[in-house]
Amino acid sequence: MELVVALGLIAFKVALLIAILLLLPLPLTWVERKIAGHIQQRMGPMRVGWHGLLQPVADGIKLLTKEDHIPAEADRFLFKLAPILALAPPFVVFVAIPFGESISVLGHEITLYVSNMNVALLFVFAVIGIEVYGVIFGGWAANSKYAVLGSLRTCAQMISYEIPMGFAVIGVVMLAQSMSLLDIVRAQADVWNIVYQPVGFFVFFVAGLAEAQRIPFDLAEAEGDLGAGFHTEYSGIRFAFFMVSEYAVMLLVSVLSVILFFGGWNGVLIPLPPLLWFVLKVAFFVYLFMWFRFTFPRYRYDQLMAIGWKVLLPLSLANIIITGVAFL
Amino acid sequence: MSHAPDRSGTWIGWAFFADLADGLALTFGYMFSRSVTMQYPDKEKWLPYSRYRGHHFLKRDEEGEIKCVACELCARICPCYCIEVIPYEDEKGNRRPAKFEIDMARCLFCGLCEDACPADAIALGQQYEFSSFSSRDLVVGRDDLLDKPGKATTGGGVVAARLNTEQDVLVETSEPQGYDWWRNIRRT
Ligand code: SF4
Ligand code: SF4
Repeated sequence: MELVVALGLIAFKVALLIAILLLLPLPLTWVERKIAGHIQQRMGPMRVGWHGLLQPVADGIKLLTKEDHIPAEADRFLFKLAPILALAPPFVVFVAIPFGESISVLGHEITLYVSNMNVALLFVFAVIGIEVYGVIFGGWAANSKYAVLGSLRTCAQMISYEIPMGFAVIGVVMLAQSMSLLDIVRAQADVWNIVYQPVGFFVFFVAGLAEAQRIPFDLAEAEGDLGAGFHTEYSGIRFAFFMVSEYAVMLLVSVLSVILFFGGWNGVLIPLPPLLWFVLKVAFFVYLFMWFRFTFPRYRYDQLMAIGWKVLLPLSLANIIITGVAFL
Repeated sequence: MSHAPDRSGTWIGWAFFADLADGLALTFGYMFSRSVTMQYPDKEKWLPYSRYRGHHFLKRDEEGEIKCVACELCARICPCYCIEVIPYEDEKGNRRPAKFEIDMARCLFCGLCEDACPADAIALGQQYEFSSFSSRDLVVGRDDLLDKPGKATTGGGVVAARLNTEQDVLVETSEPQGYDWWRNIRRT
């Protein structure tokens, strides 16, 4: 009986998580278009529903009913596999992410995470690394020069930015003495890591921007020079998969920034429910992503590589050394 | 951002990404400034200037007679060959157009017909909402042209309007003069 309840609870949590992650891109696209509009002194979507609130639904229906086109010369198997490969890892990663300690429902303590892994951080980085396959396969299978160029860029970009990203969080791991995200948040109950690790956060966030393929590092898509980059040839529901995956990664980087550097669900000054604190912080980071997108131009490819290898990597290494020395 | 302080050469600004922060501050300011969108056709509508070149109209003289003398000069000068005039002689012995058709689908609203007319009979008015599902409906005859609205007297403003789709698609407004659209443009 105990086992059944526990299993049911896990299944319920996973289902809830998947539902939230699948549905969250809808409001996020609306928010993003509104922010884009207002930054450019426009209004954004206004006509479908109140202030365009139903616009994402209309877009979703449009994407679902559009022709699902596969180019004649494409590698059909890989072409179909790629969107799933791009979509799955960001979802899987959220299994290891804690959203809070626990809440009591009907007298039961329910933890706000699916699993508390002791190597959660490692798991996150390992799984998110798989996402690059979706991008590479998608670009390669489409048999189009824009798509191949886009995915080649992404490949190099992801690999070179994963290294500083991984190094950047080592400082956090040293402070918390643990790789469990739960322990990392608990270790920040008094002082958030951003106070001790500003450089680590900087490197992590810049690398996260690159990892999420957002401006100023969105070379994979680069609508100015590559059509739409690796998903140029995708349409309809498969394109929607890539979109959802992009938003999920953006969300993931925001969530990780909050958990690793901004105290997770620990609040300051104002006593709010921990979950609310967490959501507010994540919302701030999501806003930051969008704000960046409509402010900065895209970096050139060689600049991107130079930043990754000549700035972020040494910075993250220096950060580890300094943290280590301070620790001793 | 011409008034931004020049930080090139100061390493502090360079190290802390002062120019990126400047950019972010600028877009943040824009984010909370008024939007310049004219919400046409749902809420607002633009009134054309008096010099605006919209749909043609034919004028009448004081006695209510059509001014056009069917000289076909407008048809000749038209770069798109979109005017067709067939003259006849009315009861008073005046030369008048029996048929006067303009193909609005081909017209480029250059206004040359207005300039060429020796009788000041044709002009381009203020109407700009005459799209149609069939290009055949865009061929407008003499009597319709006589009924078209003339030049705007005021204009150049944005007024509150309402979209009416009950019968035809109409954007209705009752205000004669609106606000200047340019007032919302933010200049830094
Ligand atoms: S406005 Fe120009 S194009 Fe149109 S009918 Fe007159 S002359 Fe022809
Ligand atoms: S509208 Fe003017 S130019 Fe054209 S036929 Fe009549 S009188 Fe002549």
